[in-house]
Amino acid sequence: MALTLFGVVLNRTGWVWLIAGWAALAGVAIAQPADMQMWSVKAQDRPSDAGDAVQLFWSPIAPAAEFICYIVQRAPAAEGPFETIATVVSIDTQYVDAAALTGDVYFYRVAALDSVEAGAADQTTSPADSLSAASPARTVDTIYTAVAGPVNSTAQWFNLRRLNQFLVIIILSAAIIYFISQARSGKQLYVRKIAGLQAMEEAIGRATEMGRPILFLPGIHDMDDVQTIAGLTILARVARTVAEYETTLNVPVSRSLVMTTARETIKEAYAAAGRPDSYNDNMVHYVTDEQFGYVAAVDGIMMRQKPATCLYMGAFFAESLIVAETGAEIGAIQIAGTAQPAQLPFFVAACDYTLIGEELFAASAYLSGEPRQLGSLKGQDVGKVMAMCALGLGAALLTLHSLVPGWPILANMADWVGKVFQVR
Amino acid sequence: MNVSDWLALQVAALLTLGIVSFLYKDNPIYKICESIFLGVSAGYWFTVLFWENMVPKLYENISQAGSRPYTEAGVPSLLYVVALILGIMMLLRLFPKLGWMSRWPLSVVVGATAGLWFITYMQSNALSQLRATLLPILDFQAMDAATGTGLSGWFNKYLGNLVILVGTSTGLCYFYFSKEHKGVFGGLARVGIYFLMVTFGASFGYTVMSRMSLLLGRIDFMISEWWPSLFSGWS
Amino acid sequence: MGFVLIFAFFIPHHPFDALGEDVTVFFDIVAVFAFILGGGNLLRMHGNHIYTRHKDRWFSAVTLAGFLLMLFAGLFKIGQEGWCGAVDQPGAWFNNIYTATFDPLQSTMYALLAFFVASASFRAFRAKNREATILLVAAFIVLLGRTPAGDYATDWLPDSLSIFKVSNLANWIMSVPNLAGQRAIVIGIALGVVSLSLRVILGVERSHLGTDKS
Repeated sequence: MALTLFGVVLNRTGWVWLIAGWAALAGVAIAQPADMQMWSVKAQDRPSDAGDAVQLFWSPIAPAAEFICYIVQRAPAAEGPFETIATVVSIDTQYVDAAALTGDVYFYRVAALDSVEAGAADQTTSPADSLSAASPARTVDTIYTAVAGPVNSTAQWFNLRRLNQFLVIIILSAAIIYFISQARSGKQLYVRKIAGLQAMEEAIGRATEMGRPILFLPGIHDMDDVQTIAGLTILARVARTVAEYETTLNVPVSRSLVMTTARETIKEAYAAAGRPDSYNDNMVHYVTDEQFGYVAAVDGIMMRQKPATCLYMGAFFAESLIVAETGAEIGAIQIAGTAQPAQLPFFVAACDYTLIGEELFAASAYLSGEPRQLGSLKGQDVGKVMAMCALGLGAALLTLHSLVPGWPILANMADWVGKVFQVR
Repeated sequence: MNVSDWLALQVAALLTLGIVSFLYKDNPIYKICESIFLGVSAGYWFTVLFWENMVPKLYENISQAGSRPYTEAGVPSLLYVVALILGIMMLLRLFPKLGWMSRWPLSVVVGATAGLWFITYMQSNALSQLRATLLPILDFQAMDAATGTGLSGWFNKYLGNLVILVGTSTGLCYFYFSKEHKGVFGGLARVGIYFLMVTFGASFGYTVMSRMSLLLGRIDFMISEWWPSLFSGWS
Repeated sequence: MGFVLIFAFFIPHHPFDALGEDVTVFFDIVAVFAFILGGGNLLRMHGNHIYTRHKDRWFSAVTLAGFLLMLFAGLFKIGQEGWCGAVDQPGAWFNNIYTATFDPLQSTMYALLAFFVASASFRAFRAKNREATILLVAAFIVLLGRTPAGDYATDWLPDSLSIFKVSNLANWIMSVPNLAGQRAIVIGIALGVVSLSLRVILGVERSHLGTDKS
């Protein structure tokens, strides 16, 4: 067409006219209505889900400034009828249809609107008005893509987006299991001293000498909190020592299920210590589920019975300060352990010894002295080493990238390290 | 104010004063308030748990299983029979010869707790925190945007990421169980405990004012609601 | 059960995707049945005090009276119109007892924290050793930084030393070294939970269930 328009004149003036002609033709093409250019939507099953979503991607329509939004339409067949399922702002070019049913077949198309009224008028389209795949028709204010489909949503059996978390868990679990098996085979494993746990036996002995009871609080949460489980595992060790020393143990609890579990725990501990007759169900008694009602009762017990040793092991909240201060007032030796970071300062301030976070979970293994349990502590340490190595590697890569921004490989490597810890 | 509201106000004020009396020493008035609190709160929670857990989640799901085979969450309604069986097994603890059966629901609960929290803590406490701590020691590009002059500018430009990285790493060293805190490693652990002490001190200082505001709320009740009611009476 | 829930996290296919929530509901139901045991223990213990004429029998009587009254008012929805609707509707006995007794008792116990935090501060801020000194200094700066007095005391500092204005220093402490320490604690807790959970699931740790035979 250009040759016909401008002829083949290859002198300098002619080339200039030829180039100008092609430029003019390109400008005309740009100025043509956008429906003369093809734009499409891609529909696919969303990966790694329960089979309840379809992902849609489309290219942005040009010129984008003419259009205010996209509408997404869905139909059970390519011919329709299409119903509008969503309206998406013009800067977005993707959508997830989360209402798709597993196994059902769907067809999708997307329309670009340059006015809201046009969108309202086009809520449903009859088969006669539907588009052919070859050339999208243009209505007054709406541009449609070709129909995408058939697509059906299926459920997957493994969430690949969580692969990184799976691998981290496998490595960590493998380390823990490895050291447990090492310990079982007789290898001696060193575990450093933890002051609070070493003082436990001394504290129980103190109560025995003074002829006063030991108070044990397993926290105010129920058995659905792992801190409570940690507290009860420590209670088992403490109860065994208490049984051997023939001291009085008092365990007021805030949850009925914890009461049931604690009774089983102490009963077996007494039996293991060879003193099953010394066990009494009244050692563990239910108080109330209410947080401050529980602490009011515990304060009363402390002031009246004046226990020589107070052990707080589990999940505590605002009441931690009240019990710790009351225990300090009566002169009891107090050992506390919790994984609630907000309560640790109060225990540190008021108690003689505090097990900080992780030490609470290590306590039962430490107190048992059993090699298999100590082996699990070594596995925890592997996790810490992994964490510190990752931090060091990530810091080095990001610092180098900040220093030399022109090397994208550093940013990519740092990004990869970050993806290992990504949570989805 | 009607007579029942007035009486409720007086009871609330007396109970408030009774609890506060504990600060002086344990006394019979505090014991009465404590006893009321225990009884009322235990009854309150059992009632709430019954009407909000037992009835809608157990009774309604099982009794309506015929007309509604699946719950709104897509769970088969009859599956709640399993929960009923576990609950009844729990109650068998009351019978000495059958008490051993109560260990089964306990085992289910403990195992489920272990599995659920394994993932939750791994995600939110380990992986998320580690990802957030992946920082450059010195971010040369961000330094230009850092504000402040003199020492303030120096703090903002250079210290932030470095302190976070050092603090987190040495804190993890403190919790390391397999090595004694001696020598270089002991020095790192000592730096870690210093960071932990800063953390504890900051948390302590942060919560002091919020605790004070709770007391002010109670004082406000006594002064602005109870005290005037003594003179105004009921109508 | 533990292994199933761990693997269910990675399996999006139904029914594994909602297994965690289902188990939580099951736990709530089991907890209500367990409450019957707890409530029974409460009745037995305090009833025993009354029966054996314990010195605290009158307080036990008050406890039992409060428990049974609240139970009666709530389970039978006394004062409410019909059985439908929430148990704590205005005008119901349950709500009235809650408002008159439970709420003020709970609020007052919470308010006692102000006194206890003061006594804890007095005990903690004695600077017996280096760690205690660091705790004291950090707490003092953050505490002062949240008050107008702190701003007033350091307002005169020039811009080049503005980081040492108490409020700025407090903000820096909260957002940098405090954050570092919190992260170390929280990461350690996560590893501890992972280890304990594995010990429980594998049966290495069984003391909480009353059997600790190797």
